[in-house]
Amino acid sequence: MIGFLARRLAGALVILAVISVVTFCLFYAAPRDPARAFCSKVCQPETLELIRRNLGMDEPLAVQYWHWLAGIVAGRDLPGFGGCPAPCLGYSFATQEPVFGAIVDRFPVTLSLTVGAAAATLGFGVLLGMVAAWQAGRPLDRIASASSVVGASLQIYFVGPLLAFALVDTFGVLPRPAYVPFTGDPVGWFTHLLLPWAVLSIVFTANYTRMTRAQMVEQLAEDYVRTARAKGMPERVVFFRFAWRGAMIPIVTIFGVDLATLLGGAIITEQTFALHGVGELAIRAVQNSDLPMLLGVTLVGAGAIVALSVVVDVLYAVIDPRVRLG
Amino acid sequence: MHSRRLASVTAVLVAGALALAGCAKGGGGGPAEAGGPALGPLENTAVTTIKVGTARDSAGPAPEVPGARTGGTVNMLDRDDFSHLDPGRVYVNYSAAVSALFTRRLTAYRVGDGGTITLVGDLATDPGTTTDGGRTWTFTLKNGLKWQDGTPITSADIRHSFERLFADFVTEGPDYAETWLVPDPKKPFRQQYEGPYHGKHLDSIETPDDRTVIFHLNGPHPDFNFTVAMTGYGAVPKAHDTRQKYDKRPFSSGPYKIVSHVTDKSMDLARNEYWDGTTDPIRHAYPDRFHMEFGLQAQQTTERFLADQGADRQAFTFHNAVAPERVPEVLANPEVMKRSVQGLTPFTSFYTINTSRVTDVNVRRAIVTAWPSRQLQQLQGGEVTVGRLATTVLSPTVLGYRPFDLYGKLKRPQGDPEAARRLLAEAGQPHPTIVYAYNLTPTQERMAVAIKDALGKAGFNVVAKPLATAKYYEAVGQVNNTFDVYWGGWSADWPTGSTTIQPQFDGRVITDGGQNYSHLNLPAINSAIDRADTISDPAAAGRAWAALDRQIMEEAPIVPEHYVTYFGIYGSGLGGVKLDPILGGQSALGIYVK
Repeated sequence: MIGFLARRLAGALVILAVISVVTFCLFYAAPRDPARAFCSKVCQPETLELIRRNLGMDEPLAVQYWHWLAGIVAGRDLPGFGGCPAPCLGYSFATQEPVFGAIVDRFPVTLSLTVGAAAATLGFGVLLGMVAAWQAGRPLDRIASASSVVGASLQIYFVGPLLAFALVDTFGVLPRPAYVPFTGDPVGWFTHLLLPWAVLSIVFTANYTRMTRAQMVEQLAEDYVRTARAKGMPERVVFFRFAWRGAMIPIVTIFGVDLATLLGGAIITEQTFALHGVGELAIRAVQNSDLPMLLGVTLVGAGAIVALSVVVDVLYAVIDPRVRLG
Repeated sequence: MHSRRLASVTAVLVAGALALAGCAKGGGGGPAEAGGPALGPLENTAVTTIKVGTARDSAGPAPEVPGARTGGTVNMLDRDDFSHLDPGRVYVNYSAAVSALFTRRLTAYRVGDGGTITLVGDLATDPGTTTDGGRTWTFTLKNGLKWQDGTPITSADIRHSFERLFADFVTEGPDYAETWLVPDPKKPFRQQYEGPYHGKHLDSIETPDDRTVIFHLNGPHPDFNFTVAMTGYGAVPKAHDTRQKYDKRPFSSGPYKIVSHVTDKSMDLARNEYWDGTTDPIRHAYPDRFHMEFGLQAQQTTERFLADQGADRQAFTFHNAVAPERVPEVLANPEVMKRSVQGLTPFTSFYTINTSRVTDVNVRRAIVTAWPSRQLQQLQGGEVTVGRLATTVLSPTVLGYRPFDLYGKLKRPQGDPEAARRLLAEAGQPHPTIVYAYNLTPTQERMAVAIKDALGKAGFNVVAKPLATAKYYEAVGQVNNTFDVYWGGWSADWPTGSTTIQPQFDGRVITDGGQNYSHLNLPAINSAIDRADTISDPAAAGRAWAALDRQIMEEAPIVPEHYVTYFGIYGSGLGGVKLDPILGGQSALGIYVK
């Protein structure tokens, strides 16, 4: 197990390094001069040069990248702006704050959004899928399958404003979505995030319902399930102990990826409900040509995917004893 | 020599019969704000005057807003956080709007009922005096001015505020004063002075006592008192200048101070107890606090203002307009229209004709004549969303503006292909090829089709050239670009013709990345700009810029598109919300909680 984790960790670092290099290079390949954003309306060439120097863009690309990389380990001193302690993911000249601090500041919003939405999605999705598989071919199955098709067809930017209009603006049954720190007001945290969770889970639940149903139906037709039934095991045991375990492997895989994507920033949801999370930070970084922030957010998203893929690998072994790590 | 102050007494200019701000309904509560029937199109019927005020106009307090009450919290909802708060780095109107609450300048604009705009002394006792045609300007600070820590605002602070603009981290703000305060305006100003942080002062700013500041400019600049009304020339205390960090937490000289600011999320302002309303002719400071939230798109703020619930009743927005898809609904609702703000902004939009490629004036005139202005306006959302059809270079919000329509664009807004064909025949080019460059967006794609169709009817062969949005300005900003017509926009930095006409049509400032996109370079126009630039009487200067406007349009270097309008709404629990005709959004200066 330790060897497995060490190898995966080393692999993850390589992946993150590659992603950072690619993001760095792509940013500079883009047809947009980030220095222009800091220049006044009538932008004099000498002012543009000065800005490039202020941003450190007058140095060769490799040197800029090396400074950034070294800052993660050793921190950086930014003349005029003060220090950027390790892990320094860079300093955003657009928002004038250390990138790491900005991400840490917004991460609770994204984490809260992700945790609630993931719980609802997985819970409802798997439950509905199992019910559909249990009742395969019957009316309940058809209802669950049809509603999952409708749910999967909906978009957050459509359902979100629609539900906000109805439940917040018109009937006032829910408070306006916002982030209230859990530690300060757990009830407020829950009620203010209920709508974004609901919208995210409406859209994502559908996928899990369909996938769970398909996997369960497939597993229920497997030989080992038939054997279990032939041995006289109760249907409940067959369903939950045998078929369910087999069906969960692909669902856990997809769930890991979805979770990581949400942790990297639920961009559309955060925009729709004006939640100031990592996703919103990413959007602003793109709009402002803010390379340090863009790099930081990209790495956090990539880090979440890599970390969760390791977790998923470990979970395989828990769900299916035939899978061995190492 | 002429005294600007004396001249100003009689310098009340009618800027245009179809002009701006008085049309800004709003506030709620007052008779003028009661709102009539929802008429749909903008009611730009008020006569607007722009004048340079007197010492009396500059004295505080600001005239009472009828029905206004003190106290409460006003909420502000908008899309973006303020890009800068250090006045030296503020150029964007949105940031300037909030800065007015905590940053004072030497001069400022007082917007009166009926759309009158008066340049008054803000920190200064009057809008400044010059006795040598604008080379030397004297400002005297009012008594009783204090920073947020209770220390007095002195002439040394004002000198420092201007000197720090030369520092290498101040790159985003305007650079008019910097260029005029160094010995040689043709050399980069930072090569001539490196800022105050190395212990040196600018020789061109004198502070003979604690209240007097004298600017010695390197040439005549008769509207320097308008220049220093820009937020970019706001006051920064020498003792609390934290340099780069000042941008995060400026020190207040106005009625409010920042108590918290979480980037991209929120900002809270509370009263600055050392601000004295009797020194301030433009700020009322009725609310106790401001709470500002960012990250809300126009669609979201429109929804919330329409719902008008809870704390949103006391909410306004500096910048977010009514979302285009909700405009008809708002216009049809008389109750909501009572809490709407609408009117002209200083922004104009136009299509530049590259005169170095389209050299025959009759071909350029034919382009203007055939241009499908009405169709393009409709494709962009109609008059309420984008603005009134324009026929001039100058905006109606500029001092001296005179309306004219040389090419009959208001009579034939859909374009006049017959007249254009005649002009092309005169030019001896019945079927010229025109390369039209545009931003590659869905709307612009549709507009390009309309342009191709309309110009095609006049005989033009139009080659549409889509450009990536990120590259657009860089591409059209090249002097040797290969395009004939391309879109552009402009906003006057202060309401005189000089900041519109000189940067855009002075042929001696054509450079890559410059603002003279049409490359118009005519000696007659260049020298007329020089003459207008040195007229110290505002009325005469206004007439000169208006004449130049006509002279330029005779050369057809642009197809004027829109006088851009603003149309926004706010919560029903607020009063005193007006259009800011200088910044083009909602103003917080007279706002109050009902």
